[in-house]
Amino acid sequence: MSVLEMKNIHKSFGSLEVLKGIDLTVEKGEVVAVIGPSGGGKSTLLRCATTLETIDKGEIIIGGDILVTTKDDKAVYCDKKMLQEVRSKFGLVFQGFNLFPHFSVRRNITEALIHVHKKSKEDADQICDQLLTKMGMLDKADSYPCNLSGGQQQRVGIARALATNPDIIFFDEPTSALDPELTAGILKVIRDLAEEKMTMVIVTHEMSFARDVADRIIFMDGGVIVEQGHAKDIINNPKSERTKSFLAGY
Amino acid sequence: MDKLISILTQLGSGFLTSIALFFLTLIFSIPLGLLVAKGRMSKNIVISSLVRFYISVMRGTPLMLQLLLVYFGPYYLFNINLRNLKLGPIDYRNIAAVIGFSLNYAAYFGEIFRSGIQSMSKGQYEAATVLGFSKTQTYFRIILPQVVKRVLPAVTNEIITLVKDTSLAQAISVIEMFTVAKQISAAQASVIPLFVAGVFYYVFNGLVEIVMNRIEKKMNYYQ
Ligand SMILES: Nc1ncnc2c1ncn2[C@@H]1O[C@H](COP(=O)(O)OP(=O)(O)OP(=O)(O)O)[C@@H](O)[C@H]1O
Ligand SMILES: [Mg+2]
Repeated sequence: MSVLEMKNIHKSFGSLEVLKGIDLTVEKGEVVAVIGPSGGGKSTLLRCATTLETIDKGEIIIGGDILVTTKDDKAVYCDKKMLQEVRSKFGLVFQGFNLFPHFSVRRNITEALIHVHKKSKEDADQICDQLLTKMGMLDKADSYPCNLSGGQQQRVGIARALATNPDIIFFDEPTSALDPELTAGILKVIRDLAEEKMTMVIVTHEMSFARDVADRIIFMDGGVIVEQGHAKDIINNPKSERTKSFLAGY
Repeated sequence: MDKLISILTQLGSGFLTSIALFFLTLIFSIPLGLLVAKGRMSKNIVISSLVRFYISVMRGTPLMLQLLLVYFGPYYLFNINLRNLKLGPIDYRNIAAVIGFSLNYAAYFGEIFRSGIQSMSKGQYEAATVLGFSKTQTYFRIILPQVVKRVLPAVTNEIITLVKDTSLAQAISVIEMFTVAKQISAAQASVIPLFVAGVFYYVFNGLVEIVMNRIEKKMNYYQ
């Protein structure tokens, strides 16, 4: 079963067409890396999938729930209740972490569990402890984000996204704000998630990571998917000239 | 010494009025200020323009004039006589003072809150949105607590000004402390009552600063 279906996605900012009919389907357990030059629309695609931007035309289905369809050439979004349902199906990890600075690590992770998903404090704490143990950060549960390194903050960002047990997790350049020595740690966390068959879509500039961890790589440029295929094929034997010249830069 | 005690006891009731005016103004103007901030940022142009106009009038005209308008306005403009209205020991001039001060301070607080709200990064809203928080939850759980910390120094400034501004209530003959001090001073042909009043304001503001510093310290647990 596909966890994410995006069909013929069109998105413009004013007169600038940023997504020009993107099709992307992600199967359960699949890890998809999205690569491409700056301004190609990678973030916009993720933001459309995660309800942070609205599309102009197309169809998005997440975890079987229809977020948006198209009638008479115009995007029609689901109602508010469904929207909340859809939002519980995915997690999003930001480049800049976007942790809540006034909450402890624990509250960053449990707040939505308790107040959106109506879990008891005890259940939420248990989930939090499990995730923090996995991230090697149980001792930081009562710390505040400002007292954590970038790498630790991003672990909390990942734990927060995982807490609600989503069907799919989106990452937008999860290591771009990190020093190189901290990057490896975060990539390791994502690699571990891949081994657990977590469904993930990762926008990244880490080509070797994409090759090793992703099942499929999508190369986006100018608002279209230029080329996609098995991770190793794309990195080692790109077909299109644009992909070749992009990869030559790495 | 007896004289000083008599000054103090006479000033006492005026002081209570000043304090009541101070706290009532805060209680009403802070929530009202949040509404003003919301209205000022509204996408509805009619609402945002109206609020913008409101703020410019409140900030652009003397508070004393606004007090007079609230007090005399109903009678001269609409022929509604509220001046004999009495609620126990409180008559309309006290109510008018609270209304006038609250409306005025709401404008200043509103602009402070707006700057605080607008200084919040988009990422905070986005993180809250994808986690499923409703707009109300996002506002009260994520945004407002951070805004409070950011605007605290500016709010402290406003509160200190308010302590001193309460003396303007004399414009509509509210018997607050400064009014009383002037009366005693005239009766006794002495500046001591005025001096004592000054000490009152000074000490009161000292307390305000201590309390606000405490609150600021309490919020220093994060950056
Ligand atoms: N909110 C917006 N308003 C107007 N234009 C936007 C907005 N967001 C993105 N764009 C434009 O859309 C285009 C695609 O941006 P996007 O951020 O999706 O690219 P990207 O592939 O993620 O690039 P990068 O690798 O630099 O992150 C860019 O030209 C960008 O300027
Ligand atoms: Mg981007």
